[in-house]
Formats: sequence, C-alpha cells, structure tokens
Amino acid sequence: MTIPGFILRNAFRNKRRLMLTLLSVTLSLFLFTMLQTALRELTQPAQTDESALRVVARHKVSLGNVLPVKHQSRIERIPGVHTCMKLTWFGGIYKDPKDFFPQFAVDADKITDIFSEAQFDPQEMAAFLKDRAACVVGIKTMDRFGWKIGDKITLQGTIWPCDPQLTIRAVYRGGIDETNLFFHHEYMDELCGKPSLCGTFWIRAENAEAIPGLIQRIDETFANTDAETKTETERAFVLEFVSMIGNVKVLIGSICSVIVFTMILVTASTMSMAIRERSREIAILKAIGYDGWQIFSLILAESFGLALTGGVLGCFGAWFGTWLMFQHVNIAAVSNGMFIKFEVTPHIVVSGMLIAVVLGLVSCLAPAYSSIRMSVVTGLKELD
Amino acid sequence: MAVPLKYNFRNLRVRWRLTLATMLGIALVVAVFVMIMALARGLKATYVSTGDPRNLLVLRKGSTAESSSQITRNEVRLIKYLDGIARDTDGEPLASAEILVLINLDRLDRTGTANVLVRGIGPVGLRLRTNIRLVEGRMFRPGLHECVVSRKIANRFANCRVGEQFRSGRTLWRVVGIFEAAKTAYESEIWVDADEARDVFKRNFYGSILIRPVEDTAAVATMIKRMEADKQLSIRVLPETEYYLEQTKTAAPIQWLGGVLAVVMSIGAAFSAMNTMYAAVSARTREIGTLRVLGFRRRHIYVSFLLESVILALLGGAVGCLFSLPLNGMATGTMSWTTFSEVAFEFRITPELLMKGMAFALVMGVLGGLLPARLAARKPVLDALRSA
Repeated sequence: MTIPGFILRNAFRNKRRLMLTLLSVTLSLFLFTMLQTALRELTQPAQTDESALRVVARHKVSLGNVLPVKHQSRIERIPGVHTCMKLTWFGGIYKDPKDFFPQFAVDADKITDIFSEAQFDPQEMAAFLKDRAACVVGIKTMDRFGWKIGDKITLQGTIWPCDPQLTIRAVYRGGIDETNLFFHHEYMDELCGKPSLCGTFWIRAENAEAIPGLIQRIDETFANTDAETKTETERAFVLEFVSMIGNVKVLIGSICSVIVFTMILVTASTMSMAIRERSREIAILKAIGYDGWQIFSLILAESFGLALTGGVLGCFGAWFGTWLMFQHVNIAAVSNGMFIKFEVTPHIVVSGMLIAVVLGLVSCLAPAYSSIRMSVVTGLKELD
Repeated sequence: MAVPLKYNFRNLRVRWRLTLATMLGIALVVAVFVMIMALARGLKATYVSTGDPRNLLVLRKGSTAESSSQITRNEVRLIKYLDGIARDTDGEPLASAEILVLINLDRLDRTGTANVLVRGIGPVGLRLRTNIRLVEGRMFRPGLHECVVSRKIANRFANCRVGEQFRSGRTLWRVVGIFEAAKTAYESEIWVDADEARDVFKRNFYGSILIRPVEDTAAVATMIKRMEADKQLSIRVLPETEYYLEQTKTAAPIQWLGGVLAVVMSIGAAFSAMNTMYAAVSARTREIGTLRVLGFRRRHIYVSFLLESVILALLGGAVGCLFSLPLNGMATGTMSWTTFSEVAFEFRITPELLMKGMAFALVMGVLGGLLPARLAARKPVLDALRSA
C-alpha cells in the first residue's frame, strides 16, 4: 500500500464522521465567502477609469438640502470641468413602496457623457431626448417588472409634489448600477412649478489630475453664498453613504471570526477523535520504525485533505452559488438596492482557501503532538 | 424506569474535552443569533415606543417622511383652527407646526460624517411630547441660535456637548441642553426653535403638523375626513404612532441577516453535535449492552442519548446567552431608510430573546441527537456486550 493510499484509507475509516465534518467545514467557508463578498460590495464601490473622473457636488448642510439650479452655469465655467449635470433623487413610489428602485431626474442630454461606461443605444437615446416625458431604465429594473420599450409608467412623488407619467424610450446596460431610472429634469421642474432646485451636480472632469483643484474651486466659488457646496469624488460620496449604515466592517468581521473559530473547534475535535481511536496503530507504526515527524506528516496530510476539500467545496460553492442565484433572483430587488453585483472575487476565494490551510494545520496540532509523545508501550496497551 | 440523568451528566464530564468543544460551538452560534436579533430588536423598539397614541401627524399628501414633507404656511393656518383640535387652558389649539432638516455632522471619533435630524419645534410641540426630560443645561431660547441635543447624539457626534458649538452651513448652533426621550426615535434628534430653523435653512414652508384632537372619536373621524377631502389642503393625516411603526422596516435587513446566519451556522453546529454523539455511542457500546441486560428498554436508551445531546446543546445555549449579555444596552446607530438620517439605539436583549436562543440550542441538540440515539437503541444486546 502506498503512503497516499494509507492516508486516504485512514481518512475514510469513519465515513459518517468524515462527511459530517466535511459538511460543516464546507458550510462555514461558504458563509465566510458570502459574508466577505457582502462586505466588499458594501465597503469597496467599484472604481472604473470612468467613475474616477466623476465628482459630486451637494449642499454643504446635507444631502437633504437642495441647491439652486443657477449654480450649474458657474460650475461649467470652472476650468477642468468637462460636463456638469443636474441629478436629483426623485424617490417616487411605483405601485407599492415595496417596488422600490432608484429614480433620478437628470439633464437628459448629458447622461451619456457623465455615465459614459454604460451602454446606451444611440437610436433609443435619440427617441428619449425628443420626448420630454421619456425615461431611460436599467436592464435589471426592466426585467424585474417585465417592462418593454414604449410602456408607460407613473411614479408617485414622495419628496417632490408631482407624479410624473413616463414613457420608457431607452434601456441601458452595464457599467453603472443597472437598476436606475433616469428622466428629464425639465419635465419634473415643469410638473412641480419650476422650483429651479436640484439635489446634486454630477461633474465629469477633463482628466484625473484636474480633480483636486476642481473640487477646491467649486467649493470656493459658492463659499459664503446661501447655498454652499461640498464637492467630493464619486467614491467618497458613495462611501459616506455606506458609513451611515453603521459599522458594517466590525459586525461582519466579528461574525466571520466567530465562524472561523467555531470551524477550527469542530475540526480539531474531529481530528482528535480520529487520532485517539487509532493510538494503537500509531504505536505499531512507531514500533516498525516510523519516527515522530513521519507520523506527524501522515496526520497533517489527513487533516489538510479534510480542510482543503471543505475549502474547495465551500468557496467555489459560494462562487457557483452566487452565479446561479444571479440567473434566477434579482438580488438588487431582494436586498432593497443594497447589493447590486454581489460578485465573489478571486481575492475572496483565495482568502477562504488560506483559512482552510490554517484550519488544516491548527486542527491536527494537538492530536499529533500527543500521539508523537506517546510511548509505544502505552499506545499498544490502549484498548479502543 | 428511565435511565437516570446522572448517567448522562457523568458521561459528558468524562469526555470533557469533546463536550467542551461541542458546547462552545453551539454557544457561539447562539451568541451570534442573540446579538444580531438584539440589534434588530433595539432598532424596532425605538420606533415602536415613539409617538403618543393621542396625537395625529399631518404630512403632505404622498409624503412618506417628515423630513421631505412640505406644509405651506397657509395650510398651517387653516388646520390649526379646525374644530376637533383640543385647546389648552388659554384657548390655544394643541397643534404644532414643525420642520425637520437633515444636517451633516462630524462623528465624535472624527471617522467621518453622518446625517442628523434637526427638528424645529415650538412650545406647543414640547407640550405634546410628554416623555422628554432635560437632563443637563436648559431649554433653547428662540432667536439666539441655541439648541438642545439628545443624549445619544451628544455621545456620537463632535461638538454636541453643553457649551459647545457646531457649524451647519453658515450658522453656528450653541448647545445649551441635553435631553433624554425614553429611548424613542426623538433620541436621534437635535431640537431648535421652529421659526429660527425655517429662517436659517431657508424654508418658507413647514414639514409637518402634530395635532392633539379632542377626546371624541366620532368628531375626530369627521375632522380627518374633512381635512383629507378639503381641496385647499393637500395633506395626509395619520396617527403619530403609525408613522413611526412604519419605520420599523429599517430593521428588516438586520433581521434577515440574523435569521440566515443563524440557520446556516446552526446546521454546522448540529453536525458537530452529531459527531460528538456518534462518538459517545460507539465508545459506550458495551455500556448500552449492559443497560439492556439490566432491563432498560430500547426506548429508554433512545431517550437517554437524545437527552444527553439536548443537555449538551442547552449547556451550550446557556453559555451563548451569557456571552451575549454584556452587549445589552450598548449604544449603536444605523441609517434610517425613511429619513436618510442616523438613528441611534441600543442593543436590547430581552428574556424572550434569550428563550429563543435556548429554543434554538434545543433544536440543534435534538437534530444532533436523533440519529445517534436511534443507532444506540437499535444495537442488538449480545453484539453490544461482545464488543471490545
């Protein structure tokens, strides 16, 4: 019998115990992978070359205060600004509050410039531009409600006192959050009696180097006016939102460490059960000339095999599972827009596998130590 | 006669290493469950306890949050003197037009900023809320840019202690008092004078009106009907308690997380309990045989092993509950999806929640014990005795 064969035989000696332990390691690493993915999604908004060029200006008091539209022309004159677009959170209700998806009123002609990474169909966009009461919708929201181009929808305003009736004229895919709806800011202004207000300005800089100076100049321009601004990069803007949800990092981090700790506990006790019932055989191995290190490596191999199999099943299971889930569930809808991509990255899988490696090592330490130290005579005396 | 419980306890003690490891596994699962649920519960309790059942809240039609609702001054005039609104001894109607503004403040530890609600309120508004208690300093005086801050906000944000000043926009607000509000949602607010707030934040409208109707349900019903039908008013009237109750949905994602985590983790823990119990059964095969010879029935053996697993799990559950207890009352905060502002609350561990944690442990124990106990009960007596 070969050494690997011997290890395998030993591992499978108690199939039930092996399966139970394997399943609990798999489940733990599955959970770990999912939680890390959730954490990543919440704390590291995707950064593309395009999004790195965007800065957001909001009212200095808070996002809850609106800015006068007349700021726009002054921002546009600032050197380094490529495009400046009004973007106002509409927050309307479509049918039921449960059917939530983000809606924004924007400058219709600038949207392709600002969100240049999203794919818009030029013909559809031409139709969208021509119709004042038109909207462009992300593919995920289209699919969620089964909408087609040409459908009419009504949003009931909760923040703005108007109920726009919109016709879907265009669909966009990819690049940015695919659940948004954009419609003409002019249409909203008209319905609300031309308040000349907007929520934020989204600005595309000419190049990344211009951004720090740009941010400073915008805020300086409006300093000591009735509506001072706070301008920041898109990334900072998004992270600020996330930080308000609470200390997600601590919450998920501590849950993950509890999971890992529990998993080590379970696997270590399984390994010590497995080794203890074998003390007689180990004594025999010693008697026929195996030294302590050789026995240690046999035990280590077995525990590594167990941990790594669990790791592969758990991490790749999560990978496959999220992919599968994506085919059938609209995760953005289920999570109220909190999770959009929910992508398991190679980095997360690798860290899960590293934990499996540590698990394999740690869980065999105690039993291996005692069996190496045990004398041949005591080992042979053991009955069960 | 059943197998004495003492037998199970002794067995657990003999194999103490394994018992401890399994117990700790179950304890951690129960602790995670109780902690996350305590988070959701604390958040919910904040909203459930807010509002006086006697008060009605008036918002703009279609509006879901006080912070984004708009009531014109004309509407305020029309509503204030409606029949059906109670009056105080001076004949002043118990109606408080208020404004709620979101402001961005630095956190105390300077790790970032968050939105906080500033409520512009008048003397009537203070009288309509009975559970407010000033614990430090004094009430604000109109016209001096003074404010009172809730204790929880003062503990979480910079420059919010009595005597300190914080800047919002171009205005410096001086903190003159700290209040407590019986763990309600008001404990996430800063209060200033209503007219001053409208002036500083450039609002020519109010956000909401809180009214106290007369104690006559029929009269109140007709008043509400009349208000909502009035062409001059574009408003929505709802009980104050209902408005806050609706916001308990903020806790839904946390509850969801707690539930999913607990279920998946408990499967893992049940597997480990099962492993332990299988080991216990195989190590005690001879004892099982002996017990059978002594006259114990199969079902006695079955119940005995199942009980042992349950005891193991309940011990774990109890330890888990103990682990979670220090968290009770700890202050934390999250963002309300209704107002986009920080809501400060406390972890709340109730006896009922601890019972749920124990019930959870019980389920893990039963699931982990069922199959091994069946195996033990089915062992033929002679084989069991013969085994080494």
